[in-house]
Amino acid sequence: MPGHYYILVSLALFFIGTAGALLRRNALFVLMSLELQLGAGSLALLTFARGLGDQKGHVVAFFVMALAAAEAAVGLAIVVSVYRSRRKIDLDVINELRN
Amino acid sequence: MNVILAGPSLLEKIAFVVLAVGVLGGALVTITRKSAVTAIISLVGTFCAMAGLYATLSAHFLAVLQILVYAGAIMVLFIFAVMIVNRDDEHPIALRGLFVRAAGVLATGYLFYRVAWIVVRERQTDVLATTITLPIPDYGNVASVGRLLFSDFLFPFEAVSLLLLAAVVAGVLIARPTRPRDTAKSGGAA
Repeated sequence: MPGHYYILVSLALFFIGTAGALLRRNALFVLMSLELQLGAGSLALLTFARGLGDQKGHVVAFFVMALAAAEAAVGLAIVVSVYRSRRKIDLDVINELRN
Repeated sequence: MNVILAGPSLLEKIAFVVLAVGVLGGALVTITRKSAVTAIISLVGTFCAMAGLYATLSAHFLAVLQILVYAGAIMVLFIFAVMIVNRDDEHPIALRGLFVRAAGVLATGYLFYRVAWIVVRERQTDVLATTITLPIPDYGNVASVGRLLFSDFLFPFEAVSLLLLAAVVAGVLIARPTRPRDTAKSGGAA
């Protein structure tokens, strides 16, 4: 398939992830939307790597995957910790830094 | 091994359309469901379809890693977090008011339209032409990507291993109830 179809799928996935991160208030869903955005970035990287005939994009996508794993581990730990102390994980309820 | 030849065949088109619909539909189901477990299961489907897209781009190593890391490890983390937190979303949408919500969706759609128009306009450039034959026969294999990973990218690879170690330590440190006030309140929910 021509590469711009892959880029269009990647763009649509990225904007779905953006809409999910902006519109949902549950912190778990926001983390899932972030994973979708990272996956869209990896898809674009692999498409351009295929177009250029270069494998460096694969290596960068590998690093993005490791980054997503680290982000999920720390983010979910924060969610569990906030739930223990507040009993809520809604992002518009957690406003202790205000004032 | 040479998956993409000059000119996509009918089978390639069908595979691409099925996988793309799976990715986008799974993502839409993920961000719109009320139950977190349903969203996680559809996220697994999204990542599996994305691994199929990687395989059609001749990125076999990354396709296998996508299944192992995303659909395996990260999803297990998410399911454990849902098991601990375990409450459904009562008010799924953050912004109140239909006008604000519709404005957000319309703005996102308009941004997508503008960027997608640029991509379609520039579709004849060399970078986007994936119909060329593979430059090397083992493009995207474990052997060739691993050779690149351990020669040119050795320092970033080791740095990423340090990052993962730091993430593990930080995850344990943040999620563990340290103060006795928290342990008494959570009542052994850990």
